[in-house]
Amino acid sequence: MRAVPKLLLAALLLAPAGAANAQPSAAPSAQEIAERSEQAAYYQAQDGRARVQMEIVDSQGRTRERTMTILRHDMMAGDEQTGHQRFYVYFHEPSDIRDTVFMVHKHPQANDDRWLYLPALDLVRRIAAEDERSSFVGSDYFYEDVSGRSAKEDTHTLKETTDTYYVLRSEPKQPGLVEFDHYVSYIHKQTFIPVQVEYYKADGTKYRQYTVNKVETIEGHPTVVKSTMKDLQGGGHSTLTYTQVDYDVGLTPDVFTERYLRNPPRGQLTQAE
Amino acid sequence: MRKLSEHAAQHRRGYFTGVIAVTLGLMLLAAAGTIFPGAPLLQPLTIDTDPENMLSEDAPVRVDHDRLKKVFGLDEYVVVGVVNDSHEEGVFNPQDLANIHQLTEAAKGLKFTITVDGEKRQARVVSEDIIAPGEVDNIETSGVGAVDFSYLMPSVPETQDGAIQVRERAQSIPMYQGTLVSGDGKALALYFPITHKKISHAVEQELRQEIAQFEDTGADYHITGLPVAEDRFGAEMFFQMGVSAPLAMLCVFLLLLYFFRNVKLILFSIAAAMIAVVFTMSLLVVSGFTVHIMSSMIPIFIIPIAILDDIHILSDFHDRYTPDRPRLEIIREVMGELWRPMLFTSLTTTAGFASLMLTPNPPVQVFGAFVAIGVLAAWFVTVTLRPAYLMIVSEETLAKFGAARKSKGDGADRPHGALAGGLRAMGGFAGQHGKLVLAGSAVVLALSVWGITKIEVNDNPIRWFESSHEIRVADRVINDHFAGSYMAYLQLQPKDGADAPDQPFKQPEMLRWIAGLQRHLEQNVPQVGKASALPDIIKTVHRELLGSADAFRIPDSPQAVAQTILTYENSHDPDNVWNFTTTDYDQANLWLQLNSGDNKDMESVVQAVDAYMADNPPPMAMQKTWFGLTYINLIWQEKMVNGMAQALLGSFAVVLVLVTVLFRSPSWGLLAMVPLTVTVVTIYGIVGWVGKDYDMPTAVLSSLSLGLAVDYAIHFLARSRQIFARTQSWAKTLPEIYEEPARAITRNIIVLGVGFLPLLASSLVPYQTVGTLISAILVLAGLATLLILPALVGQFPNHLFKKETLNESRTQAPAGGAAAGAGRRR
Repeated sequence: MRAVPKLLLAALLLAPAGAANAQPSAAPSAQEIAERSEQAAYYQAQDGRARVQMEIVDSQGRTRERTMTILRHDMMAGDEQTGHQRFYVYFHEPSDIRDTVFMVHKHPQANDDRWLYLPALDLVRRIAAEDERSSFVGSDYFYEDVSGRSAKEDTHTLKETTDTYYVLRSEPKQPGLVEFDHYVSYIHKQTFIPVQVEYYKADGTKYRQYTVNKVETIEGHPTVVKSTMKDLQGGGHSTLTYTQVDYDVGLTPDVFTERYLRNPPRGQLTQAE
Repeated sequence: MRKLSEHAAQHRRGYFTGVIAVTLGLMLLAAAGTIFPGAPLLQPLTIDTDPENMLSEDAPVRVDHDRLKKVFGLDEYVVVGVVNDSHEEGVFNPQDLANIHQLTEAAKGLKFTITVDGEKRQARVVSEDIIAPGEVDNIETSGVGAVDFSYLMPSVPETQDGAIQVRERAQSIPMYQGTLVSGDGKALALYFPITHKKISHAVEQELRQEIAQFEDTGADYHITGLPVAEDRFGAEMFFQMGVSAPLAMLCVFLLLLYFFRNVKLILFSIAAAMIAVVFTMSLLVVSGFTVHIMSSMIPIFIIPIAILDDIHILSDFHDRYTPDRPRLEIIREVMGELWRPMLFTSLTTTAGFASLMLTPNPPVQVFGAFVAIGVLAAWFVTVTLRPAYLMIVSEETLAKFGAARKSKGDGADRPHGALAGGLRAMGGFAGQHGKLVLAGSAVVLALSVWGITKIEVNDNPIRWFESSHEIRVADRVINDHFAGSYMAYLQLQPKDGADAPDQPFKQPEMLRWIAGLQRHLEQNVPQVGKASALPDIIKTVHRELLGSADAFRIPDSPQAVAQTILTYENSHDPDNVWNFTTTDYDQANLWLQLNSGDNKDMESVVQAVDAYMADNPPPMAMQKTWFGLTYINLIWQEKMVNGMAQALLGSFAVVLVLVTVLFRSPSWGLLAMVPLTVTVVTIYGIVGWVGKDYDMPTAVLSSLSLGLAVDYAIHFLARSRQIFARTQSWAKTLPEIYEEPARAITRNIIVLGVGFLPLLASSLVPYQTVGTLISAILVLAGLATLLILPALVGQFPNHLFKKETLNESRTQAPAGGAAAGAGRRR
């Protein structure tokens, strides 16, 4: 797979064995790979914080930038992940959307709850949608790419195992809710990070591609610190760059309630660089 | 120079081989270039049906159009209107919605390989920008304090109630009102954007195939849009060329046969015209020009002109031929008489068409240049090969021809036939009642000038199809039910140096001004079915955010605007915003759907916007740029009308100079201009009176009128002078002109006038127009020549025939125009 930069491979290889300590001796099943991949991509540690720089580049090369802080908190039952998560996305830039907050209560088995707080209108509104494949704040990323698509929503088959990757082909169980016919992910064998995901239409056209550009091991967790989503048909792409990544910061669930939409938890937000 | 004909008559083999070798050679080159594209130095036959190319590629309006389409991410649309009159809820029933869904899915995957500028390229339906119920977002308040971005029709409804819901949702979004769902809420329109308009006909065909598989629900699917019409026209044009031109040829052939009753001699006329056509068209291809709507008509223009020349020779030969005289002598006589008028008529016709090169429209320039070349080619073939052929044709073939048959007196145009009689009567009338004829002409002219003032300059590519054509039907149905299928766009940006804030189109007062302009256009300008712009998205989202109908407005601060837009950016189509503004909000775009593609309607919309902007100045000084195919059509037409007027004046001047030189007399020169002036003025007077729009074919025909009308006049006047020089009396000259010369002219009129009537059978209106007008021009030019010229000459014979008059002081006939006929006089 040439699309994955060498540097990234090196980073993945350097990832501590601990991240993959559960590596089974037998070859894992496709479903197992998908689930572990989901875990590696969205459930590292119990909570996390990062400053995220979003760059949206359209087909003409025009660029828009957004800067936000993303806070994440996983709902635990004892030491066990329940799969329920909360996200708090605070917008720093551009200035006319400063203080805007996007909040998510993610439910693995049901539709997520999403809220948007618009300070200029002093409004909190839930965003409802039948599917989760609408744009995430105007970027090429879908909402679901940011919050995570459950491994249970698709049927996975192991297409290929290379020296470095498991190559999974995934088909939706409910095709009516998604725009793709299937997608193919290249999942790193040690870290289970999906480093490239390609989305296909029924006629075999690849129209969308997610690529991890950079992985760093932060506090023992292999972490994607830069990724790109390309719209292969329209010609645009969006890049997410993560800085000030911190795990186990001790976020409490009350941060993720409506009360904090109007009054952001300033102490928990990242600082301008 | 008349020696050329004699030379050809004596060295037949050389001329035949030469002409055929050159023509075939060119044809082979053109064919080789087409069959082996990319071969060095060869050019393939390239067909160009794009009216945009009426303007050169670097024309500012085209540059703007391409640039702004890119800036705002816009594509041309194939529009499909679905109407079901047999169901009480129209198409809002489960079965039709299922079909519409299936059609949309089928359209999504359409892609084709096309060749643009010699390069193969993929073009496709822009599936992500399709406007259809399953593809666009419904924006609504759902439950308490929630905004819902779900597809308008996430899945095909299974019940009638579900279908009604789809309608209700669509109707609640102002952006889709009239665009997606019809005003009466019973019909749906689907908009399929395409990356290149060259695939519109292919997309249309694929959609029709899909539609053909649907079970009949009573629904009608109508497909239109300017790109579809334009592309479709191109496809049909070549079919028409393949049918109309040969049919016209056949018709001309049959008429010639009637007049001359000699298959072999007449086949040669057709062959000569064909040689001229093949030569010209091959040359066009070989020199790398595209075959455009205009240039496809070149054969139709060359054929009459080529045959016209040939009929003069044939007619003259026909009237002189007897087997007992040496043929070369007859030919010498014929060519002696005709050489000069034929050369000059060819030159004037050439000048008429060459003047089209003065227009700013490249296809018109190419058309003019190549018809001019074709006319010269036709002239050469006629004056060389025709005499050569007459030399070799067998005695038997000629036995039943010409003077040999005169004694029998059968046939309407024989000297004793009805035509001949009629013409004599006409000559007598024109001669005796000159003043009456002139007065009548003056009245006609005055009425025509009045008519010209009524001419409406207008064109619309959709109207190039007959009223019953499916494209026209689709156009009517869609524009009746929906906002409009003709797209025009208006780009706005602060004037350079204007005191504009950062991101001007996020400012509430600016957005409100745009909303005001939209409202004004939709309410007060009947041609605008819908004006969509950024305020629509903002107002709709704001309404749903606040959950009340009165929140359908622009919020009060730029921040609130930004956050409203951010909310919308969480939908499935966030990029819709960038169809209406740029990412830094320094330009805005209004999308106007017009219900008519008439250029005059586009023009009135432009004027309405200007007036509105003058009366309601925007918050900051704005500059605007129009674009869109509908607007481009308006611009090329404006350029063409002005260009045509210039070209007409230019060729008028050139022709005047030419005829003055020909007759070596300004008086005769002016006289020769009379019939063409009367013809052109009358033709356009009639166009004005009957209310026919002055469109592309109508404009181009002015040069043909000029070429044909002056042709008759030159023949008539030159022959008059020759006859006068012999008879020395106008009274004796007049009846003689109404013999062979008048008959030649009349045969011409009938052969060509009737010969072009098959064009009326064409399903494409420009061909019908050309057919009708060519016939009308011929008849008018003939009448003007045969009636007005003798009437005018009769007023001042002494002045006009000074040079031909023999008297003591001028025993030698001067080398005037009539000197050409000297050979006959001796």
